[in-house]
Amino acid sequence: MILEVSSLKYQYPSEKILKFPDFNVSPGERILLVGSSGSGKSTLLNLLSGVLPLQVGTISLAGKDFSTLSSRQLDQIRADHIGIIFQSLNLIPYLSGYDNIILGPQFSRIRKARIMNIEKEIMDIAERLGLKEFEMRRSIVGLSVGQQQRVAVARALLGRPELILADEPTSALDPFTSRLFLEELGSAVDSANQAILVVSHDQVLEPFFDRVIHIGDRI
Amino acid sequence: MIKLAIASMRARTVPIILVVITLMTSMALLIGAERLQEAIKNGFNESLSGVDLVIGPRSSGIEMLLYTVFHLGRPTKNITIQTIEDLENITEVDWVVPIALGDSHKGFRVIATTSDYFQKVKYRGGQSLIFQKGAAFNKVSDVILGSAVVKKLGYQIGSSIFVTHGSGNGLAKTHDDFAFSVSGILEPTGTPSDHAVFVSLEGYELIHLGWGNGSKTLSLKNIDLTTIPPAILKPKTITAAYLGLSSKLELFRVAKVIREYPEEAVSAVIPGLVLAELWSIIGKVDKVFKVLNWLIIGISIIGMITMTITSLDSRTREMSILRAIGASPKHLSSLVLIESLFISCVAIIGAIVLVATITWVSKDFVSTDLGVELNMNWINANELGTLCIILLAGMGASFLPAMMVYRRSLHEGFRAN
Repeated sequence: MILEVSSLKYQYPSEKILKFPDFNVSPGERILLVGSSGSGKSTLLNLLSGVLPLQVGTISLAGKDFSTLSSRQLDQIRADHIGIIFQSLNLIPYLSGYDNIILGPQFSRIRKARIMNIEKEIMDIAERLGLKEFEMRRSIVGLSVGQQQRVAVARALLGRPELILADEPTSALDPFTSRLFLEELGSAVDSANQAILVVSHDQVLEPFFDRVIHIGDRI
Repeated sequence: MIKLAIASMRARTVPIILVVITLMTSMALLIGAERLQEAIKNGFNESLSGVDLVIGPRSSGIEMLLYTVFHLGRPTKNITIQTIEDLENITEVDWVVPIALGDSHKGFRVIATTSDYFQKVKYRGGQSLIFQKGAAFNKVSDVILGSAVVKKLGYQIGSSIFVTHGSGNGLAKTHDDFAFSVSGILEPTGTPSDHAVFVSLEGYELIHLGWGNGSKTLSLKNIDLTTIPPAILKPKTITAAYLGLSSKLELFRVAKVIREYPEEAVSAVIPGLVLAELWSIIGKVDKVFKVLNWLIIGISIIGMITMTITSLDSRTREMSILRAIGASPKHLSSLVLIESLFISCVAIIGAIVLVATITWVSKDFVSTDLGVELNMNWINANELGTLCIILLAGMGASFLPAMMVYRRSLHEGFRAN
């Protein structure tokens, strides 16, 4: 297992407790986490990536129990084992597409060590995602939303982190483009046997995933 | 991280440049003011050497030193040559060089003295005045020029000059009935000597023949100068005299003897002591300026921190992205510190270049017009120390926004979408 989650709960000050289902993620597995707005999807991603401190329950990533790790170690776990695709892409606007991609493994020696030839690796990922070299060399603001989305995916994939977390990656896309994007993403992660955990409110995406987990319980 | 910090700064070029300029100019102001002050202090300290006592009419030591050595202010009284001759007879007195002041030439002070002046009066740790061209007085009409006078007025050996009675301001009259001829030009010294016009005491006495109450009653043009008896040209009064003693151990005793001279009220000042007194007065003003300069530096650093803190809000997204891809709060705060370090270093280098450029451009003007010799060093150890303090202060102060980034980023994650 790359990820194990059990008895996970989280409470923001003066709000109801969010309760999350138990689930495991195997290498290469594609999982869809479905929940309505306010169901705690972003909170779950923050917990899984170690940004939010664990309150109740167990999260184990790559064999490491979050409850035993310091904040610094959690940052390192995130850098080493997780690639993140944001809903609004969150690319750094003053960097080119290429420099945004290269930022992916910036804080992880493990991910850096997996890259033998960074130029070739980036070109391979770009080719799989249908991203042209000249597009990557452009400033982010000069790219279309689709191109930016590919750059964001490439950033998450570079250095082959075991788990890709994606937060509403298709919310800004029409159904046709969404389908194409998920196919490209699926093929990209398959080649490196990376697990992917996508959070979405859109149940139409279910056919592209091995498993669907519903979240949204509040106590 | 450095590449990222530089890219981030490039995205905020205008505010960063403004902060660099503010910090750079305030540091240049600090270094420039210190360098000017150092140059003035050195100029004062190095202007006179080898002179044990300065003798003049009873007045404050500082005032006397200012008008005799530094050509600042005007003497109001003279002392008789008889007094000087009496003091010369004191056993411990090795030599006496009298000087008479009062006239000028195109803004440069005229010093009437003897040829001994160029041998006995030294500067900068005992260096002698050196003639670039010509030699000391040989004739009554000989005039010796300091290097700055030559540079500004373009005189050469043999040029004729007229001396103006008094400081040359207002309705001062020129001694246009007697022309001095340039017989010697001194090497530059970086002291007030560069700005002086030296004539012999006899020549000075000659041009004042027939003068009374600021106007002349006799024109030298109508007189055969060879018929004037030498005794007539012997000065009756002088402004001051430099004294050298055979034994420095007797300095204070001789000074006391001179001050108690019964025939005339005279002062005997020890240049080193008076300079120390002068610096203790100037030092207070200097401290105020230094405090003001440091306040300017402080304000500039606050400006840098304010800019950094203000930009944090617009950089929230950037910070949360970096945080999500694995940057620790330490990484993010180090981004802020790298930025402050970069700004401070660029400002420091800019300040050094700015000061060097201003020094290079204004060196001649400051030397000729203000009589201050600026050092053409890029930077000295003291200045480097000052800049390091500023750098550390800047880094120390930037810990505040760095801590803010650290604390804020601890809770930044997917909600920043």
